[in-house]
Amino acid sequence: MALLHKLLNGTSFPKLCRMQDVARCFLLGPVFAGYPSRLYGSIKKTEAASGRSSPEVNTQGGLEKQTKGEVGLDLISPKEKIEIIFDKAIRTEIKDHFKLLAKELVDRWRGPEGCPLHEVLLENTRVMWQFRSDEDLDKWLVTSDRTIGGRSKAFLKMASNNQSALFHGILNTELPHDGETQRSGYCAMTSRIPRGAFERKKYYDWSNFNTLYLRVRGDGRPWMVNIKTDTDLVQKSQHLHSYFMFTRGGPYWQEVKIPFSKFFFSSKGRIQDNQQQLLTDQISSIGFTLADKVNGPFYLELDFIGVFHDPTHTEEFAYENSKKICGNL
Amino acid sequence: MSPYVMLIISASLLLGTSLTLLSNHWFTAWMGLEINTLAIIPMMTYPNHSRAAESAIKYFLTQATASMIMMFAIIYNAWMTNQWTLFQISNQVASTLMTLALATKLGLAPFHFWVPEVTQGIPLSSGMILLTWQKVAPTSIMYQISPSLNMKILITLAILSTLLGGWGGLNQTHLRKILAYSSIAHMGWMVIIISINPTMALLNLLIYISATLTLFLSLNLTSTTKIKSLANLWNKSTPMTLIIMLTLLSLGGLPPLTGFMPKWLILQELVAHNNITMAMLMAFSALLNLFFYMRIIYTSALTIFPSTNNSKLQWCYPQTKKITLIPLLTVISSMLLPLSPLFITLS
Repeated sequence: MALLHKLLNGTSFPKLCRMQDVARCFLLGPVFAGYPSRLYGSIKKTEAASGRSSPEVNTQGGLEKQTKGEVGLDLISPKEKIEIIFDKAIRTEIKDHFKLLAKELVDRWRGPEGCPLHEVLLENTRVMWQFRSDEDLDKWLVTSDRTIGGRSKAFLKMASNNQSALFHGILNTELPHDGETQRSGYCAMTSRIPRGAFERKKYYDWSNFNTLYLRVRGDGRPWMVNIKTDTDLVQKSQHLHSYFMFTRGGPYWQEVKIPFSKFFFSSKGRIQDNQQQLLTDQISSIGFTLADKVNGPFYLELDFIGVFHDPTHTEEFAYENSKKICGNL
Repeated sequence: MSPYVMLIISASLLLGTSLTLLSNHWFTAWMGLEINTLAIIPMMTYPNHSRAAESAIKYFLTQATASMIMMFAIIYNAWMTNQWTLFQISNQVASTLMTLALATKLGLAPFHFWVPEVTQGIPLSSGMILLTWQKVAPTSIMYQISPSLNMKILITLAILSTLLGGWGGLNQTHLRKILAYSSIAHMGWMVIIISINPTMALLNLLIYISATLTLFLSLNLTSTTKIKSLANLWNKSTPMTLIIMLTLLSLGGLPPLTGFMPKWLILQELVAHNNITMAMLMAFSALLNLFFYMRIIYTSALTIFPSTNNSKLQWCYPQTKKITLIPLLTVISSMLLPLSPLFITLS
C-alpha cells in the first residue's frame, strides 16, 4: 500500500499542502479506507472514508464530544505536519509480512491455529474481540448511510477507562436527495476481514463452537448482529446471516447469547425464501447494525465478543424450507 | 433426491467412465470425462446451500479448463501425427499438455487447490464419488499413454503432490479436507510409478479407492465431519471407531494392513530402477500423511475424549442405518497384505 502511494504520487511527502490532501483523499481515500492506520501514526479512523466530519463534530457537544485521538481519515490539518518516510515504511512493511509468513509456517507445525490439536479440540470458549486499547478499535470498520448521502453519524471510541468500546452517534432517517433511495438511516460497525502474510484473506474457524456471546450495554435500541462468511466469490459478497440483539438500556451489562443455528440468511438486504444454515467453518466478519427507523442518538458499549460451545444446544438450524414458499426446492 | 434423478446421475457417471475406459478414439475418451464432470454437478449442488453451489462452480471451472487443455492437446497431436488413436502421444508438446490436463483432473499438485475446497463444501456421499470414481477415467487415460509421458514432469508432479498433500493436511480439523489432502498425496504415489510400471499405479489406485470408500461410508453412516465429532464416536458406535482407525492406518501405509502393499511395491520398483532419492523422498513424505492420520486415531480411538453425560450410552440403541458395504470394504482395505504375491504375479 505504501508502495502504491509512492508510485502514484512520485516522490516522498516532506510537505503536505491542502490541494495534495484533497486530491490524495479523493483518489486514494477508498484505497486507504480498509488499511491499518500504522503509517499515519496517531491519526485514527472513526468514520466512513468519504465523510467530512471533524469540523461539524467539534461544534457539537454532549454525546459526540471527540477525544483527542479521534480525527476523520480525510482531515489532516495544515498546522500538523506529518513526516512520512516511505522507504522506511515499505521496508518495515515487507519485513513484517515476512515475519508473519515465518510465524504461519512455524504455527503450522504446532497445530491448527498455532495451538496443539488437543487444545483446539478441547477449547470450549474463545474471546474473539475485546476492547482494551486503540489497537482493538483498528480492527473495526465504522460505516453509516453517509456513504449513500444520508445524514447519520457514527463514531467508535474507547470508553470506561479503556475497558470497553463505545459505538455512538446519531441516526437520521432523512433520505438523500438522489431521487432513487427509498429508505435511509443505518449505522454499522463491522470487523475487518482477518489478513495473513501479504494481506491474504484468512477466515475464522468456529466449527468447534455453536453460540455467540456478547457482553454489551446498549440504550434499549434493537440491533442486528450480522455474520459474513468467506467471500471469495463475487456472488457471495452480498450474503449475510443475521439475528436481532435487543438491548436493555440499563446501567447493567447485558450478556447476549445467540446460537449460530438461529441466524437467518439474507442476500442483498432481503431475507431469502430459501434459508441456509450458517456454516461456521469460514467466518470472515461480524457486524452490528442499527436501522430501527428512529431518529436520534444511540450508543452501544461493547466489552468483548466471544464464541462458546453450549452442549445443551443441539439444534442445527432453526428455520425450515418449504416447497410452498420456495418452489425450486 | 428423486430416485429418477439419482438413476440418471448414476447412469451418466457409469456411462462416462465406461466410455473413457472402452474408447480408442481421443474424442470419445474426452467425451466420457465431460459426461462425468457434468453428471456429478447436480449431485454436488443437491443440498440447498450456497457453499455447495460454490464448490460445484469451482469443480466445474477447473475440470472444464482441464478438458479444454486436453482437447487442445488432442487436436494438436492429431494435427502433428495425423492419428486419433488413444495409445500413444508421440508429440512432446501434446504429451506435456495432456499430462498437465490430467493432473488437474486428478488433483495433482500444483493443480490441487480445488480439491480441499470442493470436497469441504459438498456432502459426504458426493465427496466419496468425487475422490474415488472420478479418478478412474483420467487414470485409465494416463495408463494408456504412460510410455510417452515425460518422466521429469511426472516426478515433479509426484513429489509436489506427496509433499503438499502431507503438508496441507497437517492442520485440518475437518475430515473432508483431510481426505482431500490424502487423495492428493495418493495420486502423487500413483503418478510416480505410472511410467515405470503402470500396473502398480492401478493397484495403488484400487487400494486407495477401497480404503477411501470405507472411510467415507463409515463417516456417512455416523454423520461425522469433524475430528471433534469423531472423538465422541466411541460412545455412539465402537465398531465404526475401530473401522475408521484400521482404515486410516491402512491409508497411512502401515504393515500388516493392505495399504502397505502399494507403497512397498512402488518403492521396490523405484529402487530397482535406481531412483533411490525419489524413493526416499516419497517414503519421508508419506510420514506427514501418517502423522495426521495418527492424530485422528489418537483423539478418536486411543484416548477417551471428554464428553458430557448426555452423549454417553448412545451405543445402546439399535442401528437403523444399513452398513451394507462397510464390512467387505474393511476386510479389503486392511487384510489383503498376505495376498501380495498374487498381486505381484498379476503385475
